[in-house]
Amino acid sequence: MLSYILRRIVATLPVMAIVALFVFSLLYIAPGDPAVVIAGDQASPEDVERIRQSLGLDRPFLVQFGSWVWRILHGDLGTSIFTNLPVSAMIGQRLGPTLSLMIVTLLLTIVVAVPLGVVAAWKAGSLIDRVIMGFAVFGFSLPVFVVGYMLAYVFALELEWLPVQGYTPLTQGLWPWLENLILPAIALGCVYIALVARITRAAMLEVLQQDYIRTAKAKGLGQGGILFIHALKNAAVPIVTVIGIGIALLIGGAVVTESVFAIPGLGRLTIDAILRRDYPVIQGIVLLFSFVYVLVNLMIDVTYTLVDPRIRY
Amino acid sequence: MDRRTVLKGLAGAGGLALTGGLSAPAIAQGAAARTLRFVPQANLANFDPIWGTQYVVRNAAAMVWDTLYGIDSSFQPQRQMVESEEVTDDGTTWTFKLRPGLKFHDGAPVLSKDVVASLTRWSARDPMGLMIKALQQELTAVDDRTFKWVLKQPFPKMLYALGKNNSPCAFIMPERIAQTDPFKQISEYVGSGPLKFAKSEWVPGAKAVFEKFADYSPRQEKPSWLAGGKQVMVDRVEWVIMPDPATAAAALQNGEIDWWENPIADLVPVLKKNKNISVDIGDPLGNVGSFRMNFLYPPFNDVKARRAVLMALSQEDYMRAIVGDDNSLWKPLPGYFTPDTPLYTEVGGEILKGKRDLDAAKKLLAESGYSGQPVTCLVAQDQPITKAMGDVTADLLKKLGMNVDFVATDWGTVGSRRAQKTPPGQGGWNMFHTWHAGADCVNPAPYTAIRANGDKAWFGWPTSAGTEKEVASWFEAKNLDEEKAAIGRLNKAAIDDVVYAPTGFFLSYTAWRKNVSGVTKGPLPLFWGVSKSA
Repeated sequence: MLSYILRRIVATLPVMAIVALFVFSLLYIAPGDPAVVIAGDQASPEDVERIRQSLGLDRPFLVQFGSWVWRILHGDLGTSIFTNLPVSAMIGQRLGPTLSLMIVTLLLTIVVAVPLGVVAAWKAGSLIDRVIMGFAVFGFSLPVFVVGYMLAYVFALELEWLPVQGYTPLTQGLWPWLENLILPAIALGCVYIALVARITRAAMLEVLQQDYIRTAKAKGLGQGGILFIHALKNAAVPIVTVIGIGIALLIGGAVVTESVFAIPGLGRLTIDAILRRDYPVIQGIVLLFSFVYVLVNLMIDVTYTLVDPRIRY
Repeated sequence: MDRRTVLKGLAGAGGLALTGGLSAPAIAQGAAARTLRFVPQANLANFDPIWGTQYVVRNAAAMVWDTLYGIDSSFQPQRQMVESEEVTDDGTTWTFKLRPGLKFHDGAPVLSKDVVASLTRWSARDPMGLMIKALQQELTAVDDRTFKWVLKQPFPKMLYALGKNNSPCAFIMPERIAQTDPFKQISEYVGSGPLKFAKSEWVPGAKAVFEKFADYSPRQEKPSWLAGGKQVMVDRVEWVIMPDPATAAAALQNGEIDWWENPIADLVPVLKKNKNISVDIGDPLGNVGSFRMNFLYPPFNDVKARRAVLMALSQEDYMRAIVGDDNSLWKPLPGYFTPDTPLYTEVGGEILKGKRDLDAAKKLLAESGYSGQPVTCLVAQDQPITKAMGDVTADLLKKLGMNVDFVATDWGTVGSRRAQKTPPGQGGWNMFHTWHAGADCVNPAPYTAIRANGDKAWFGWPTSAGTEKEVASWFEAKNLDEEKAAIGRLNKAAIDDVVYAPTGFFLSYTAWRKNVSGVTKGPLPLFWGVSKSA
């Protein structure tokens, strides 16, 4: 197992290198110029050119790429063109809110979606099943920002139960941290809950047809034990896979959710950096996201061995 | 660790959360009242007001750095950091004396050498500064509080230049910071103004914090825009960046923020209905909408084609597309200068007034030799103002019988593509949309967009000898009457040659909670005199 994990980690290196080259090339050929944004509307073309020179943006592609890779290899993601702050520090400032949002959403999804999927499969074809699947279609169809606005209107503006926006670090208390994340997590989690609930239902339906389930029922085992101990464990592989894939969905969804709820996370940092053409920040974030995604895939593969003893690496 | 231990831990954590055991202590009411939470127009992405000239940087910098003079609400420069000034009879030697007791945020006194370094950096980037620099013989510190600027020729607008609120302003920084190359960003933010920048709390894109500077020495006069006594009434000003207008509106209604600089027109009716919120025009100088035509390539290298467009365009269409049905938010603008300011004029603006004559415009366009070639029209879709104007322009050009190549893109792309002088089919363009702050259109000094000196002019590179002649006349004018006469001639020349197409004058609202008092109208949000009750 350990050698497998090590092999997989080593295998991420060429993936990261390809991502790095791809992102750098894409940004190089994309239209837009950060020097123009910095200089402002009143600046002369000469001013813009001086700023480009001072930022090193006038150097040839290979020179720029080479110096960027050299810095990366030394653990330096560079400095933001606009803020003059290290990219790693900017990512560090934003990691907490995004991580918090993703963790709360993930927990919410597992707690809500898996039981819903199990119950829907258990009551397949009944009204309960149709209601749950109807909810899943609804959740899947509604854009994150629509759900976000609706939640903010009802729970923040009308009922005044929760804040509309912002983020409080966990260090300032569990509830202050959580109260800022409940609405965003529900908004972001809707699609995810729908997806996981449907997959859970499908996987459970297949497992519930198996002979050993019939045997368990014949032996007089309780319904809860059959569903959650015997059936769910055997249906877990596709569910774990979808939860893993869903993390990519969460990263994408976080961009919108963080804007709607004014959470200072990586999603907003990404959008701001793209709109301003802050190349070092964009490159740093994309590299980070790629790394996280590769890592999550590895974790999923490892998790398979925990839920299915037949899988060995 | 066994299952029971985990469960006990979770139960304990949940209990603590419910009872508030892990909660941070509630902020005392007094402390909350001393913090003003403000949503600015945009993200404070950098904080060097000379290197980056965006308005949002200027607005933040005006809290942190003071200026030698400040323009007041009657557009007159008033002494700010300066105690007195003298100018020789020939107008070439200016001697300034600083007020006593001025301090930087690190406690060091403000000295003449700091001013000299600051003005040197500023004059390398600012259009008026560059004009002074071109005339400069020497800029020297005479003693700790006195400095001298010796010119080869008189520059009558010297005090205006030092006090203007257009970006970049002549902010005074410590010498060691001001010696930074003007094309490189500073990394230390030691100010001279009434509020300190809390760099450690700065999260670009999310939050910027400014704290009251206890040792600031305000003037005794009443505050008026950037002039007068800048008395700060709160301990902290927190800028909370909110990219989504609906979120900002909800946060203001919920009392999570105190002041929102520029609510969008669509949300203003909701805010006006809320009994806890005040809504009023924020910047009385508003904005001038515009689109620029490229003088280098057909069809707009021919003045007849440019006039045809001007003859057909309806400013009302543009303004309604931007501000909706609120008539108090816009005015027609048959000229180039900001309405309700001393130099406003409509001389020569007849082509923009009255019923629009599409047939005459079509005829004029045909006379220009236009033969159906594509007109590349750049429209930034991520800016509501340019998007609205772009849609109106596309319709207008089609009605004129033009073949529109509508390039829907983002502002960053427009920003770089508009600098391209290549033909429209090869990466260049024929027209793009933008807008100018009314504060930049009060006179020709900060008004880059009105300049028509060909290759050196702003994007579109207009050439209009008459316009340039009258810009020079304004700079040489010795009194307001002479200035007005020059501006009248300038307006006519610029419209005759269609330096650019003004699409109208529009205002925007600002909104704040009623427990905040002292919000005043100005060309930028002014934080002195603003207080907040619990």
